[in-house]
Amino acid sequence: MLDISVVLDEIKAQPFREITIKTPHTGTVTFADIRQGDKVQGPQGQWKEKPGTLIATLERERNPKPIYAGEKGEISVLHTELEGRFVEAGTSLAVVRHPLTRAEVEHIILRKALYLFPAPERAKYYFTPDVDKKIRASDAHSVAVREGMELLIMSRMKREVPLHYSGPSGVIYSVYFKYNENIDAGSPLIGVCPQDQLPAIQDVIMRVQTEWTERD
Amino acid sequence: MDNNIEKRIQNLRDRLTYLNDIFAGKHRDNAELLEEKLLAFAERVRAEALEDPYAELASVEDLFSYVERRLEDNITAMDRVRIVRHPQRICLRDILENVYDNFTEVGGQDEYSLDPGMLIARAVITRRRGKKTYTQSVMVIGQEKGHGAEYRNGGSVKPWGNAKARQYMRVAETEGIPIHTYIFTPGSFPIEDYPGAAQQIARNIYCMAGLRVPVIAVISEGGSGGAEAIGLADKRLMLSHGYYSVISPEGAAAIEGHLKAGERATPELIEQCAHNLKITAQDNLRFGYIDRVVQEPPLGARPWHFDFFRHLRQEVLRATDEVVISTRTLPVLKGLAMARIRKPDANLDEMYTRWGLSAAAKDRLLAHRQQKFLRLSRLAARDRRPFFTKMAVATWDWASKPWVRFKYDFYRKHQRRIRTFMEEMGNEWDVFKGRLLAPWRRLTRKLPNAKSDAGSTQDLTALSSWSGEGQRKMWNYLSPRYKIDRAVTCPNSAAYGCLDLWGPDLFAEFAGVCSHCGYHFPMEPEWYVKNVFDLGSVFEFNSEIEAGNPLGFPGFDDRILAAQKKTKSKSGCMTFEARIDNIKLVVAMLMGTFRGGSVGAAEGYKFVEAAQRAEKKRYPFLAYVHGTAGIRIQEGTHGVIQMPRCTVAVRRYIESGGLYMVLYDTNSFAGPVASFLGCSPYQFAVRSSNIGFAGPGVIKETTGMDIPPKYHRSYRALSRGHIQGIWDRREIRANLKQALLTIGGRNLYYR
Amino acid sequence: MDNAQEHIPLHDHKILVANRGEIAMRIMRACCKLGTAFTAIYTADDAASGHVRLARELGGEKSLYRVSSYHDANELMAVADAAGCTAVHPGYGFFAEDFRFARRVTKRDRKLIFIGPSWKIIRELGDKINTKRLARSLDVPTVPGSDRPIYDELEAERIAKTVFEFQEQQGIDHPLVLVKASAGGGGMGIEEVYDPDQFRSVYRRIRNYALRQFKDEGVLIEQRITDFNHLEVQIVADRSGRSPVHFGTRNCSIQSSGRQKRLEVAPGFAPEALSYTFDADRVLRDIVDYSLTMARKVGYDNVGTWEWIVTRKGDPFLMEVNTRIQVENGVSARIARVRGQGDIDLIAEQIRIGLGEPLGYGQADITFDGLGIEYRLIAEDPNNNFTPWVGHIEQFTWKPQPWLTMLTHVPTDEQYEIPTEFDPNLALAIVWGKDLEEAKARGLEFLRDLRLTGHNATGEPLQSNVDFLKTSTERILRF
Repeated sequence: MLDISVVLDEIKAQPFREITIKTPHTGTVTFADIRQGDKVQGPQGQWKEKPGTLIATLERERNPKPIYAGEKGEISVLHTELEGRFVEAGTSLAVVRHPLTRAEVEHIILRKALYLFPAPERAKYYFTPDVDKKIRASDAHSVAVREGMELLIMSRMKREVPLHYSGPSGVIYSVYFKYNENIDAGSPLIGVCPQDQLPAIQDVIMRVQTEWTERD
Repeated sequence: MDNNIEKRIQNLRDRLTYLNDIFAGKHRDNAELLEEKLLAFAERVRAEALEDPYAELASVEDLFSYVERRLEDNITAMDRVRIVRHPQRICLRDILENVYDNFTEVGGQDEYSLDPGMLIARAVITRRRGKKTYTQSVMVIGQEKGHGAEYRNGGSVKPWGNAKARQYMRVAETEGIPIHTYIFTPGSFPIEDYPGAAQQIARNIYCMAGLRVPVIAVISEGGSGGAEAIGLADKRLMLSHGYYSVISPEGAAAIEGHLKAGERATPELIEQCAHNLKITAQDNLRFGYIDRVVQEPPLGARPWHFDFFRHLRQEVLRATDEVVISTRTLPVLKGLAMARIRKPDANLDEMYTRWGLSAAAKDRLLAHRQQKFLRLSRLAARDRRPFFTKMAVATWDWASKPWVRFKYDFYRKHQRRIRTFMEEMGNEWDVFKGRLLAPWRRLTRKLPNAKSDAGSTQDLTALSSWSGEGQRKMWNYLSPRYKIDRAVTCPNSAAYGCLDLWGPDLFAEFAGVCSHCGYHFPMEPEWYVKNVFDLGSVFEFNSEIEAGNPLGFPGFDDRILAAQKKTKSKSGCMTFEARIDNIKLVVAMLMGTFRGGSVGAAEGYKFVEAAQRAEKKRYPFLAYVHGTAGIRIQEGTHGVIQMPRCTVAVRRYIESGGLYMVLYDTNSFAGPVASFLGCSPYQFAVRSSNIGFAGPGVIKETTGMDIPPKYHRSYRALSRGHIQGIWDRREIRANLKQALLTIGGRNLYYR
Repeated sequence: MDNAQEHIPLHDHKILVANRGEIAMRIMRACCKLGTAFTAIYTADDAASGHVRLARELGGEKSLYRVSSYHDANELMAVADAAGCTAVHPGYGFFAEDFRFARRVTKRDRKLIFIGPSWKIIRELGDKINTKRLARSLDVPTVPGSDRPIYDELEAERIAKTVFEFQEQQGIDHPLVLVKASAGGGGMGIEEVYDPDQFRSVYRRIRNYALRQFKDEGVLIEQRITDFNHLEVQIVADRSGRSPVHFGTRNCSIQSSGRQKRLEVAPGFAPEALSYTFDADRVLRDIVDYSLTMARKVGYDNVGTWEWIVTRKGDPFLMEVNTRIQVENGVSARIARVRGQGDIDLIAEQIRIGLGEPLGYGQADITFDGLGIEYRLIAEDPNNNFTPWVGHIEQFTWKPQPWLTMLTHVPTDEQYEIPTEFDPNLALAIVWGKDLEEAKARGLEFLRDLRLTGHNATGEPLQSNVDFLKTSTERILRF
């Protein structure tokens, strides 16, 4: 069983995540009025309807496109040498040092605590209709999985094949894939919590909720 | 100390606070003088140092009245706004208690009400003639701000509150009793929850345009749409210290000062706007939007002004009597009755006029009310049509009326009968012919060279003729933006992954529609005029009616000129006749490019004229809303009055049998949607349009609520039941034709 | 076409290779042959593709740009401007037959040359109804049936009835009628009718589907031809559009169950080695003539392919025109000679004439020699509906032969992960023989010597279509 205190201490020692802001496509870069060390904000508002801090503008075919910070944090690297230059798609513009939020810490710990069922191949994944219905009706926790159960549909190159679960029995605690998103081979698809460990896991959540203070 | 004196001192303290509040720091010296006198008096009373405290008190009270009378003379528009908003201002409940003899609240009780902001009561008035007493019933409807201010929402009525008002207007109509409405609202609560702010106000106005009982409205605080929701009346009285306006002075200042969300306008700017908007009773009387001013005591009526309530009672009775008498037909008797009740010293309590109306009188009542509104505000628009044109139009109208009557009312009816007869005859003839020719046919069928029904195989491989060939040119008009070589980002790209579109493709071939997700970019009004209707069939009329600056709003002339130059149009409303596949129709188009498509006197004038033209010509009438930001605030009540006016025109058109359709595009908000557009039974929207009562910024400012993104999207409006369907821009023409054919029915567009 | 750039010599041009994989490599090699500079693009997912490596080899790091997607025209335009390109080669797939892309390339402020037919021709011949009507106006045979959208039910029934009767007259046992939405495409809204009584219900279904899906209720009614060979005519014409020539015919009848070509042979028939129920020489002559007639009529000004179906009775019908270079162009080039000179590169020819050079030779200068077979090597399972196979390739080798041309973007010296986003084509192998027998023998020899192995994530071995190609070799050019 996982020692939560140890894990929490580990995370506390390194309570940041580095987020690289990359150009979504080619274009000419103009940085906004920001400097290394500046604080930036992620999307704001009740519905996250207000975008985060403007990092740069990328102009392609006379169409300037704003590039915003996706999470709050501090600019640790800013590639100002790219100012005014034409860059390729996926070029790094800045790195944001992002203090971990409670939800993220929870996510990290759960990834260690749960049994992770990996994607066998790079593909898009969906739940089988039965399971999908159950999840929509209540939530993922209501779905009990066991060895050999037909759980997912793997969709790749216009072909769909069923995927059987293998691993310990339990309930689905976390879902790591999104609709219409390619998942690399080996990346986890779902996190399964064996029935007997359920109280322990809930304890983890509680402790994160109480012990983790979010920074600005 | 005498309890009575204590009460009167408290009253004076209230008067002092009131005076301080409504002048917001002005006339400090007067206030200080009064305060000093009052404090001194109170101290001496407490010290029992006065021989005749009542005499002293009277002199202090006189001083108060004197100062109040003096300050009354230089009261400004903004002071009036503060007066009506003051908690000490009279409320509807005060009026119910003091003007009427008895009442029963029927629209809920206190906070236990569908909407406590809207108060409805059945009230009675007892009058005497000689020894006989008469009890007359009325339906009282109005906004309540006080007596439980915490749940009244400041008189800002929610959509369901207005629905309640409409329900009881209908009840009054059934019962045949007059309706007295009291307008105490800063504006309606701008939320879209069912039945929707704009929708419900539109329904109310439409309903009132046809109510078959006398309606008297009394305006204290007449805030735009909320006021109109219960304001379309036969007689409109206004309290002398009230205001009637298109928008709150603060709102106007925010727009004039181009303020962003969260910023505050300076008091000077607000004061200026209040003045420029011409919101006072005298202003509105001059414009003709109210019929009479009810004089209030100096600095405005408060609940202890019992004389005022008596005066108000007389005025309300007089107005009701006048409306009833005006429906009478015998001129002499009518004149006499009018003269009697109009006498300044007449005591209406001692007179009696029956308020019940005969069916014919109800027709006349309705005609008077509708004509009255149709006549309003004509002078506020600049009619630049040459004299000759106007005369020609008038003459043509006069001459063509009998012909139109004959054609549609007489000929159509009989024509149908004739056609049926002819069809039956034709059927009989066919049967007869068939029998006659049967032997001959049997013979010819056996001949070898008889043609078979199927075409030859030659048809399968040879080129056929096809008229659709070569119709490669899809659009008659392309947005000028197609000439600019640049990429455009679809607003939905984050959600749907749309790639950037190339401007020349997007604004020409794609008709401004994202080829990936179907998002509609706004297009110019010309696009619709040229691409929706048959080529060359558009005939514009009344283009010489120009938007102006009827209030003389400072600097607004230039802005109107600039808009006219930019759009090459004289007003924000273009009215024209056009054809779709040879179906003729009249179209009024509100153009979002002309000052946001806002509606003022000229736009309303043209809209009314268009509706009347459609009625005369028996054409369907389409309101195509390219975009409208609401009523043009710089025209003040000249703009607001277009809401009831145009709705009356629309109602007359619909009731005479016309098909009125509305098509929304881009952004359509506020007044027009809450009246003459929202009242159409057939409203459609172009995809990606936004429809609502108030935009997100205004909602945030007036209610403090954040509203979710996409709150006003057409799909939401469809779910809420506001509109009947959503159309793709590229199919407007086909959809319109389909709608005309299916909704218009067999006789096309006219019952 | 914008003629302003016509005077620029070839070596002053720079071509944006707006494609990936095998075709990108062929275009880059053609550029080098012509002395023209190029710029290549790739996506992050596709960085291991052979075309990236070749671009580095031939043009250096500066000739390569990473873009977000091959499908985003804005990326291509931005890169073309940044790299100073003067022309765009779309290859096949992606933007090759997109008239809007071609239009944008030539109409934008900074104009580029689109290496392909002018956008108006792409639009005209991209519309199947339009192509069919054009063919009929020139007496070029097309599939019997309607050549315009039918909106009227009675008319539709009449046509369907005629098509049934026509097939009965032709002695076809099981006549079939095809009903398809005229605005549709890609196999959507198509249904077969085998019974005339059933027609009305199918017609209504398709009409309603079309109305819902495409907002246009027009349908086309055609004969469904089941027993046919798929032939192609390779057309080449310079910008003058006046003197198109052909580079012979191809037979592409060997296809996957999803109607994807797997094996192509040039020329289209071999009457000297096989016997046909019809005059094969005449059919080949006819379809070439018809194709050239149409090309002349529209002023066709680049490379293109006219696709035909030939029935067992030897009746050819025009199917469609592909206004692009095709995958299988190499097999035609392999057997062609210009003024006796072999080693023809149709892609280089396409670039040359695309940039405005005159073709420089006539039909009389083009001769043909021998027979070519092109195999498409694909990781897939032919026994299971040709399902694509995903995994990595460990070994991919073949024995070099003077009669063999291998075109592949798969590296042979390191492992290669098959990207899931694109066509699973691994390689094209073109085999030449002096006649049918020799070509078949060499083809089988090549397939025998080929080594293609790999595994997927679960350890299952690679599946390929090599065995399918082997068995198919036996029946090439047989009707």
